[in-house]
Amino acid sequence: MSAVDTRPRPPDDRRPDGQRPDGQRPDGQLPHGHRPDDRRPHDRRPHDRRPHDRRPDDRRPDDRRPDDGAGGPERIALLLPGQGAQRPAMAHGLYGTEPAFTEAVDEVFALLGAEGARIRADWAADTPAVPLDHVSRAQPLLFAVDYALGRTLYARGLRPAALLGHSAGETVAAVLAGVLDLGDAVRLLAERVRLLAQAPPGGMLAVAASPRQVAHRLTDQVVVGAVNSPTQLLLAGPEPELGAVADALRADGLTCARARATTGFHSPSVRAACAAQIPSFRAVTLRPPRIPIVSGYTARPLTDAEATDPVFWALQPAEPVLFAAALDRLLADGPYHLVEAGPGQSLSALARRHPGVTRGGSRVTALLAARPRGPEDDRAALRAALERLAPPAAGSTRDRSRLEAGA
Amino acid sequence: MSGHTLIDLPELTRLLRECAGEEEGVDLDGDVLDTAFMELGYDSLALLQVIGCIQRDHGIELDEDAVAEAETPRALLDVINSAARDAEKLAA
Repeated sequence: MSAVDTRPRPPDDRRPDGQRPDGQRPDGQLPHGHRPDDRRPHDRRPHDRRPHDRRPDDRRPDDRRPDDGAGGPERIALLLPGQGAQRPAMAHGLYGTEPAFTEAVDEVFALLGAEGARIRADWAADTPAVPLDHVSRAQPLLFAVDYALGRTLYARGLRPAALLGHSAGETVAAVLAGVLDLGDAVRLLAERVRLLAQAPPGGMLAVAASPRQVAHRLTDQVVVGAVNSPTQLLLAGPEPELGAVADALRADGLTCARARATTGFHSPSVRAACAAQIPSFRAVTLRPPRIPIVSGYTARPLTDAEATDPVFWALQPAEPVLFAAALDRLLADGPYHLVEAGPGQSLSALARRHPGVTRGGSRVTALLAARPRGPEDDRAALRAALERLAPPAAGSTRDRSRLEAGA
Repeated sequence: MSGHTLIDLPELTRLLRECAGEEEGVDLDGDVLDTAFMELGYDSLALLQVIGCIQRDHGIELDEDAVAEAETPRALLDVINSAARDAEKLAA
């Protein structure tokens, strides 16, 4: 079962109005270059950011318009999932069979040292020593799989034009874009996991609602941790407070489901743990991105100032994820071929209902199936996805007939 | 009334639109019987919404595990309609 969507797309209607039920609109174009920007990302909490925030300099006259005419190359934007997307044995069928993937995963495990070996053992174990939903397993494995899938695309000559990570996926974007060295990123991840493991036990709750519909049930501790779409959000917080809010929301008639997390990511319960890591982020080299990253924390293209701000990166797990707005922003500059580089299709499913995809000419390919169904299925899904991405050798012209013949 | 179909594909697609957030443009009109819900853009939370509507409107109970296993409209319709038939037999 491949993660492909073969429905035809209208080529001539790629300006979604982007109008969402909550009145938000994407605000401007994605710059394809860098500019000095001295705004600090956390001058205001993202809660306070207005959806209509617009800076005139967000538009650049040299914006590269999509070259999507007959035979023109599609621009790829990677979607990198975070906590909640992990599944037992996710992408494990590519390990040992897909060279670029294997090399990248092994690099991550080696950087994690003895713990890396234990994580590798738990990855596809019938009875893992530590549950895979625990922060100490979910976070390193998701990082390794997302990163290795990105590298798999690079190895085929497929270079993304933009990156958008959900939650921890933004750190993978940072590595793929050269903001962080892999070694620094993995060492910081290991430290983050140790700190977050000491945070109060908590979780995340998916709710089919807009922030407005749940506002009256929020508390100091139980907050909106992520806005995934106009009708889907994640609440986050410690237990037992989160469970009490879940009961109240169900009594309100809202549909709720537990997300796979045992930590209250993106809530105040992890803030102290994240703040403790600021000195470590100050100690590494942060560079401007070589590939545009649309940040899930600002819903704008990451500026050079943000990319090189240690506090911005250190506090991310305590800040709300604005995925819906970030996807709006990305697709306002579409069309893109959105490629989910991670386990499952959680971000693909959100994107498939976005106006930029249903009406705007963007399309969606996930590199893996929605649920792991064994090693052969992982390999088949990746093969099908790569065929769909139609990779010409670098510099060569596209050869549709060869691709369509499945050669 | 044995063999009665409670919900068919057009009804299911109507419920997907109405219960799980109306999004213009998602193509549910073609032959989507065997297309995975995830490929249509409906994740497990969206399906829970639809299931909630069906249980409320039709007064049937659906097995959560069976619903979670149903990855396509055909599989979900099987779960729904066999539950409805079981309920009819009990009532008969």
